[in-house]
Amino acid sequence: MANGNGQARTPYAEVLAVLSRHRGVLGSFVVSERDGLAVDSNVQIGVHAEAVAALAASLHRKARLACGAAGCGTVTFLRLDAERGGICAAARDDLVLITISEARANIGLLRVEMMRAVKALT
Amino acid sequence: MADEIRRLSDDLARDPSSLSFMQLADALRRAGQLEVALRVALRGLDRHPYLADAHDVLARIHADRGDLERAADEWEVALRLNPGHGPARLGLGFIDFRRGNLERAEQRLAAASSVDEDGSVAAALAHVRSALDARTAPNGPDGVAAPAVLAPEPSGQQGQTPLKNSTGSDPVGGGRAATPMMTPTIVEYPAPDPSKARQVFASVLDGDDQTALLVDADGLVLAGGYTDSNGQDVADVVAAELAGVGGEAERAMRHLGLGAWTSMLVEADRSVVAMSPAPLGSLLVVAAARETPVGLVRLLLDRALTRARDWLARVA
Repeated sequence: MANGNGQARTPYAEVLAVLSRHRGVLGSFVVSERDGLAVDSNVQIGVHAEAVAALAASLHRKARLACGAAGCGTVTFLRLDAERGGICAAARDDLVLITISEARANIGLLRVEMMRAVKALT
Repeated sequence: MADEIRRLSDDLARDPSSLSFMQLADALRRAGQLEVALRVALRGLDRHPYLADAHDVLARIHADRGDLERAADEWEVALRLNPGHGPARLGLGFIDFRRGNLERAEQRLAAASSVDEDGSVAAALAHVRSALDARTAPNGPDGVAAPAVLAPEPSGQQGQTPLKNSTGSDPVGGGRAATPMMTPTIVEYPAPDPSKARQVFASVLDGDDQTALLVDADGLVLAGGYTDSNGQDVADVVAAELAGVGGEAERAMRHLGLGAWTSMLVEADRSVVAMSPAPLGSLLVVAAARETPVGLVRLLLDRALTRARDWLARVA
């Protein structure tokens, strides 16, 4: 089975579709933290998916390493805010679930959904 | 210099309503007698409160005393009295630059270019733009901005040899309507007294479970500290791990067209960590126990950022 981009459908397609239906969400990805490559994505046209996925994965990796050094424990959720939106990330093992959203998104609801969805990442 | 001060003092004594108080205040400032200069300028402004040039002189005295807030206030007043006052725009541009607000500095200086009589505004504008380029240009695989920035150090005056006071800076050019000129100087990150730098955020933290750390773009500790749950100082390690975070956040937001990044919040098992871009390309990090409400951590971040800006403005 293939998604809209002609790529093979992955086990994460449904999770990503649900996240992308939230108000103000521009796209969602599953990314490998180790190499920054997108495993699957569901993004609106115009979003630079691959570059953003790599940068978000790198940010998550830095946050994880810094938290490890500081004795904060495992990172459960990361949120990067900007003037007109932001990025949220939650990880399980090497996989990072990422959403990109506009300022009008309900971050609280999105966070709950992502925390639930990330448990399904394997 | 002493003769000039004596002559101007005599002039002012003969005619207390004379405008020579501006030259006298400025001469005293350049001689390093900042408190006397301040008194002369304030007394003169009591008689002539609507002179933009007098507010400009007072602003420079404040700047030399390290009080950038009051300097900015006086330059704002000068601009309100005379919207085309070039030295005031240049001064405000200098303060924006010192605070790391390069975009605003560029806007101010570009607006002042129409009254640029000696090319000093153009020179300052060029330095601000080069600093902007240095900040956005990739430097190495992580695209981290260069650690050192070109900082303006206003000095010089129209038709005279630039003088420097004891503090090494000279926001006032001298002369009644002197135009400050920004001279490029490579300014490294501040190297203040380490014991004091570690206590910079003590006044904004509410308890032992909160910590704040200011990190430069190279991942080196500027101020504050970070102690883990075992009481061990891990500030250097945490700072090193966070090197390049600001640059990556900036690039990610640029790709997405969502504007400049404002903060990052990391929830972990035992802590909530919040970060924010700070002046001079630095990164501010605050952390609190996991039980702390996230909204409270963001407030803590705002307070610490205000403190960091003030501190950097003084030591940078």
